[in-house]
Parts: sequence; structure tokens; C-alpha cells
Amino acid sequence: MTTLAADRKRAVRTELEAMLGRGAVLSDPDELLTYESDGLTLFRALADFVVFPQNVEQVSQVVKLANREGLPFVARGAGTGLSGGCLPAEGGLVISLMRMNKVLEVDYDNQLAVVEPGLVNLHLSWKVGPQGYYYAPDPSSQQACTIGGNIANNSGGPHTLKYGVTTNHVLGLEVVMPDGEIVWLGGKTRESQGYDLVGVFVGSEGTFGIATKIVVRILKKPQAVKTVLAVFDEVDQASAAVSEIIARGLVPAAVEMIDQLTIGAVEDAFGCGYPRDAAAALLVEMDGLQIGMDEQAQRIEAACRESGARDVRTAKDEAERQLLWKGRKSAFGAYGRVSPAYMVMDGVIPRTKLPFVLKRVNEIVGTHGLRVGNVFHAGDGNLHPNILYDPRKPGEEARVVAAGAEIMKVCADVGGSISGEHGIGLEKADFMPFIFSPADLAFMAQLKHAFNPDGRCNPGKVFPTRKSCGEAGAVAYKPHAIEEQGLAQRF
Amino acid sequence: MQAAFLEKLRGIVGAPHLLTGVELSPYVVEGRTPEAAVFPGTVEEVRSVVALAAESEVPVIPWGGGTAAALGTPPPRVGLVLGLSRLDKILEHEPGDLTVTVQAGRTVAALQSALGRQWLSLDPPDPARATIGGVIAANASGPRRQLYGTARDLLIGVTVVTADGTLVRGGGKVVKNVAGYDLPKLFVGSCGTLGVIVEVTVKLRPRPDDERLVALPFDRLKDAGAAVRAVMGSDLIPNAIELLDAEALRALGLLGAPAALVVGFDGLAEQVSWQIRELGRLVGGDGAPEPRAVSADVWGRLAASAAQAFAAPAAVMRLCVLPTQVADVMAQATSVARARGLACAWHAHAGVGVMTGALASGDARPDTGAVGDVLREWRALARGGAGSAAIESAPLAVKDAAGVWDDAGAAGRIMQRIKRELDPKNILNPGRFVAGI
Repeated sequence: MTTLAADRKRAVRTELEAMLGRGAVLSDPDELLTYESDGLTLFRALADFVVFPQNVEQVSQVVKLANREGLPFVARGAGTGLSGGCLPAEGGLVISLMRMNKVLEVDYDNQLAVVEPGLVNLHLSWKVGPQGYYYAPDPSSQQACTIGGNIANNSGGPHTLKYGVTTNHVLGLEVVMPDGEIVWLGGKTRESQGYDLVGVFVGSEGTFGIATKIVVRILKKPQAVKTVLAVFDEVDQASAAVSEIIARGLVPAAVEMIDQLTIGAVEDAFGCGYPRDAAAALLVEMDGLQIGMDEQAQRIEAACRESGARDVRTAKDEAERQLLWKGRKSAFGAYGRVSPAYMVMDGVIPRTKLPFVLKRVNEIVGTHGLRVGNVFHAGDGNLHPNILYDPRKPGEEARVVAAGAEIMKVCADVGGSISGEHGIGLEKADFMPFIFSPADLAFMAQLKHAFNPDGRCNPGKVFPTRKSCGEAGAVAYKPHAIEEQGLAQRF
Repeated sequence: MQAAFLEKLRGIVGAPHLLTGVELSPYVVEGRTPEAAVFPGTVEEVRSVVALAAESEVPVIPWGGGTAAALGTPPPRVGLVLGLSRLDKILEHEPGDLTVTVQAGRTVAALQSALGRQWLSLDPPDPARATIGGVIAANASGPRRQLYGTARDLLIGVTVVTADGTLVRGGGKVVKNVAGYDLPKLFVGSCGTLGVIVEVTVKLRPRPDDERLVALPFDRLKDAGAAVRAVMGSDLIPNAIELLDAEALRALGLLGAPAALVVGFDGLAEQVSWQIRELGRLVGGDGAPEPRAVSADVWGRLAASAAQAFAAPAAVMRLCVLPTQVADVMAQATSVARARGLACAWHAHAGVGVMTGALASGDARPDTGAVGDVLREWRALARGGAGSAAIESAPLAVKDAAGVWDDAGAAGRIMQRIKRELDPKNILNPGRFVAGI
């Protein structure tokens, strides 16, 4: 399906090529296929064009052309999103920022860097690492995802418990507005005049404009890091330990929980040293000053033991620490060992509700005749139930989607949220009424209108559009083209 | 203001909670007395008051503790002061979740004292008067922002009454949440122009075992600036890095020195002790004396030290620059003031580049022209440091002469569009904010 007549499409392509150069415009349906979905392959849509601008002026020109032609457009980074947030509308333009991937400036004295949106998250830490600095937000996809995509989704990661999410690390943005105007929001200083437009823009899922330069904070690497693994025979004990750690006045850098099914998958795949017979394991990391680190580790260990941990050990060196983290960060990939496919959920609950909600998640998934693996940011209550299924079995995917909706409802009912870091995108737009009233949504729509009055910038996202929840279950899974070729897997 | 309107207000909140006439003197804004002040006791009453004001097109000025009443451009009309002081209850504090939900009118001090072994890591000036809603609306902060950030980093949920009296919630009660637009950020620092904050949920932290403040004197600002850089580039994790000039130090009754760094540390006692020793070594070299301890009551007086250096400052300005520029800007700004025959005092949250300068003259009536000229030059210095500057408080004539807010650039037009969308009748604190909002 396309919104442009063939002759008009040819004319637009010619114009885009004149603007961006040949090789910076795709319109062949085979080439467009790569861009028809993000990491959530449940939803897919074909654009008319995918373009690769190299600077802010080109982005602005493309956006102005889209406006003139009445075409919708969406910015795209690495496409690792998990909510369908960077999917094109049917037709229109995908503006890939992958050619704008430079670190433009690093100011160590003022602890900031200016980067382009297509820069891969981890590459920034590589760049500033030799000087003793790093970029704190560390989503699990950080080896591939871009800082621009992190801006759109306000991405988190394991270490957000202590250091906050993307928005806490962004000082300024150069933005191409939905009408093509180039505007600076914020800057290099900690405060700027007027409303916190940077704070409003971060997490707006590409619906307020396209960030073309990003000023981020870089942090000094901590003097010392210590990682503790605590092993439990019951999930409830692990949940209790999370609360106990917090109750003892400790703020670890990360507290991650991994359940038995996930431990099995990880051990099959990588052999990271997690005990297979444990019901759950907690990975607790502290960082900061060398002095006092042992005392804090002892407090963590005591909190875990008193909550019933059968074994608590501290990684004895960096190699062991890296191995433990490899198990955590590779867990999604490892599910491939135990299931042909899985759907990752993203919900947040108050930490104190962990035992109740984990029990409910298992019951719900069981009721639908499915299995679930849990690997998540326990310290800030950010759940990632991964529902395992076989897309070749008729009706199984619909059951996954139905179970997912029920899990979201449980998160909402205990005072939580339907997304901690993956965003609403297309996937959860219909769940928004679980946590927001019509008045809340109307207010957000007014705010959107102030940035994006014609609605051409990433249409159809964030706000509920379809008739009811669960209908997306009718969408049948089909593997992505590059999955079929064995070049990529869902994660 | 019409009698019928007042009668309706009285009907909403009850006669004791509506002030008129001479009772209004504590609520004077920029020398102008409001037409009435109303103190609703419930969120529903706030909604009714705002809806009534909107219908009658009476401007509403949300009012917490009144600590930031001097901030902003003088309003064209001071209509109805909407006081939140009766909405002061803690609604939910679950220590295991490290969050608290509280009504906007509770003072920061009353909130902190109810949190047991936890605290809200925000230390604005005058916590006994400042309300949590007001602190968020004015984006007030204190020395500990060096480590713990500002309201934008701590506010996770907000409930507001919008310009037409609708109740809207943004964010939530969980510490990590990306569902929907980040409305809490929109309201931080919005000075009551987009909605009346009635309820907030904020993140808490455990109280540290130990906390101490130390001071290091310097003969030259330049050396103090170099020390700030050295501290920031070190392994130390201070929770405050404050740079004060001689006048601000005098106001605090601290050391007599041309400049000083006042640095705070928290954590385990052994961590605090080690960092203080390390700070001394880092700045003074091996064998340098340990930085001297400063009494804990100084914490709360640091942020206002420049303004309090003079009995009646002619103006107070807040500048935001790159951290490395702070000492230079302070030195140059002092020269600018002296060249005009004016005295000044300076305080800075040096690690984050936020500075406050107070101006004063020996004369009973300072020369408005000279004060305005100095403020304009200070603003130019801030811009030279990649930043901006706004007047925190000054007489009307000075505000007129120098302009309260800095230029928000093209972003100002987006702000105006947001204001028009969310408050089309322009009744929420109109005419006081950036870009004419």
C-alpha cells in the first residue's frame, strides 16, 4: 500500500536524490522490507521511501518536502525498539539517522559530550572511556541502539536504579521540528530559560520532532565496583531481599533478578556460573568509592542471607563479574535455546508488590497454556516477563498477546505503569487507558499538538487508536526477511 | 472583582477561607494587592475555584509558601491568589518503594520530618515556608543538587488542575516509567503558568549515615576555580561544591578570605573522613592541612548567602554557565559592578554552574540606571559562558530596565504554543514568565 501515485513517487524520489545524493534514498520494495518493523516484528508497515540524511539541513529539507507532499514521516535509529515506535505509517518516509553518527565534541572538564543521533550508545562510552568517563544509560541493546533512539524512548537499563534514565543525562537538543524548523532546546548548561522542553521532548517517541544533535552528560567512572550474586530456592525470598536491601539504606547501582527458566537458558547458551536448580538469582552491583565498599557488600550479603538466600558470593575478579553480567545481558538471546520465539513484556510495579505480581504473572501465563521466563530490573520494579511460544502453532501468538494484556492490567492495578523503558509505540497504545484517564490523554494530545499540529511526525503512536485491547492478537507472526535468512533473531 | 464572584468563591471554600481587603497584605505581588485570596481545602474545591475563575476570566496566581513571589515580570493584573496551604497531607509513603505522594501545599520541612530514615534529596532555601508544590513550580534547589539533581530528577508523578478546572495526572507512582509524555517535566519550573499543582509523587533516598561540610580558603577566585576543576575530575563524590566570595562568606560568618570552596560529603563515616582528607591533599598537595569543618547549620544558608550579604540588595540575579566558567564570570562580574560604584556578593553551586549575584549600593536609593546596566553586562557574561541569566528579585524599575528573563530563542515560540494550547484563555499566572507567557 502506498499513498503516492507512481508518477508522483518518481518525482519525489528524484527530488530526494538531488537533495541527499544517490544512494541515500531507498524506494525499492525489497530494500524497504528491512525497515518495515523494529525489534517487535508483530507489527510491520512499508514506507514509500527510506532516506539517509547526513546533516541537520538535509533532515530539515526532507521534513519540509514531506510536509509539502502531505506525507507522514518517522525518524529511525538502529531499529532495536520493542514497541513498534519507529514503524512508518503505511507510506511516507522513514528518516534513518544512521549516517549521522559522530561524536562532535567532548568537554571533559564540564563533563559533557555533543553527539549525533545515530551514534551507537556503547560507542560513546568507548570514546570517553580512556579518559576515565562513561555514558551512564545502558539499555541491554547498547551495542546496537543509538542515542537518538534512546532520546525517543527515554531508555533505561540495569544501572538506572542509581543513575537514572536517559532524561537525567540530557542537557540540550538540536531538533528539527515537525514543520522543518531547526530549534535548540536547552543547551550545555544545567538550566535554561522557560519550560523544560528537553525534559518534555525526551521520551516523546519521535512525535515531537527529530533530534539532530544531543548534549549529554558523561560521568566519571567509579573508583570501585563490586558485584554480588545471591541464590534463592524461592522467588519470594529473592523479592523480599530486594526490599530488605532498600530498607537497609543501600542504593546499589543495579539489582537484577533472573528466574529458573532463564538461568537454564543462559547456562545452556553461555555457562555463566548460575546454579540451575535455583528458583531465582539476584545480581546486585555496587559502585563508588573503594573505601567502604566491603562494608556495603557485607550489608548486601546480610540482607540476602536474612531473606533466605542459600548462597551469596561476590565476584572475585573482573572476569567473573563480566561473566555474571554476560548471563544477564544475553538472557534474551538465550531464550532461543528453549523456545522458537518469545515476546518480551515491559511493566513497572512498586518494588513492594514484587511477590504478588510475579505470582500473578506465572498464573496468567499458565492459564493461557504458555511458559514465561523473568529477567528484570528488580531494584526499580521494572518487570520483563518473556512469554515463550511457537509462532508456527495456530492461535498461540494470539494467546501471548492476550496474556500480555492481562499482565499489563495487573501492573496498572497495583499502581504501576505499562512501560518502564520500551515505550508505548504501537504495541501498548491501546493499554494507555489502563493508567490514564480521558482527561490525561486529552492533555497529552494538546501538548503534542503544540509541537506537531499536523500530526505528520510519527503518526499513530502513543495514543489509543484501535477499538479494543487484544485485537492485535489477530495479527499473525511472520518472520522478518533477515530472520528468514538467518542474519538476525528477535530479541 | 464583582461581589457575585466573591460570593461564589465563598460558597466553594467557606467564608473563613476567602480573604479580601486588608487581609491580603501578605499576598501582595510586585507591590500590587490581589483582588482576593482563596484557600481551598480539597482538590475538588481547587477545581471549582479554577473553573469559576476561567469562566469569569479572572487571572489565577497559584501560591505555595510565597517564597518565590518576587520571581517574574510584574503581572498586568493580580487577580485571584489561589493558596494551597490547606492541601498539606501526606497521602502515601511506602518506605520499601522509596516514594512518597504528598499534597502540594505541605512545606518541605514538614515533608522531610515525616519521612523517618528517608529523605527527599532536594534542599531549597527556606524549607519551613517553601511548599513542595511551589518548589517544583519554581524549580528551587540547593547545594546538594551537585549529587542528587533537581526537581526534574526527583518528581515522578504530578496531579494538576488545568486552566479549565480539569484534573489531570501525569507520570505515576513508580520510579521508572515511560508511559505517555513526561508531564512531570513540563510542570517543573513552569511557575504556575500551565496548571495548579495539587499532588506530587517524588523519589526518596535513605538518609546517609554521616554528612559533613568543610571549607577551603583561597586568595584568588581563579585558584578556587582551578580547585573546583580538580575536585570534579577526581574520584571524590561530593554532594555539594559551593564557591563563595568574601561578601557571601561574611554573610555566613565563615572565614575571612577573598574566596572559599565549601564542599560537602555524605555516606559511611569512613567514606566521609577519607574524602575530606583526600580533598585537602588534592587542593593543597601532600602534607596540606585538613580542610576545616563547617557547622551543619550553614547548609541551609548557603544558597541565600549572596542575597543576605546586604540588608537591602538592589537586585539579585541568577546566572547559569558552564562549571569551568564560574570563577572567571564571578571575577569579571565583580569588576563590572565595582566600575559602576556598586558592591556585589556571589555564591555559586560551582559544580553545576549555577551562580547567584547580589548587587548593592551605599546610597539609600541605588541608581536604577547603573543597576540595570550592571545586570545587562552580567547577562552578557553568562551568555559568553554558553548560558543565560534571569533576575531573581529587584524593584520594578530595575526589572523594567534590564528585563527579568533571558531570551529563550526559537524555543520561546514553542513555549508560547504550549501555553496557548493548555491555557487558551491565559488565566494561569499570566504575563509573568519567559517569552511573555
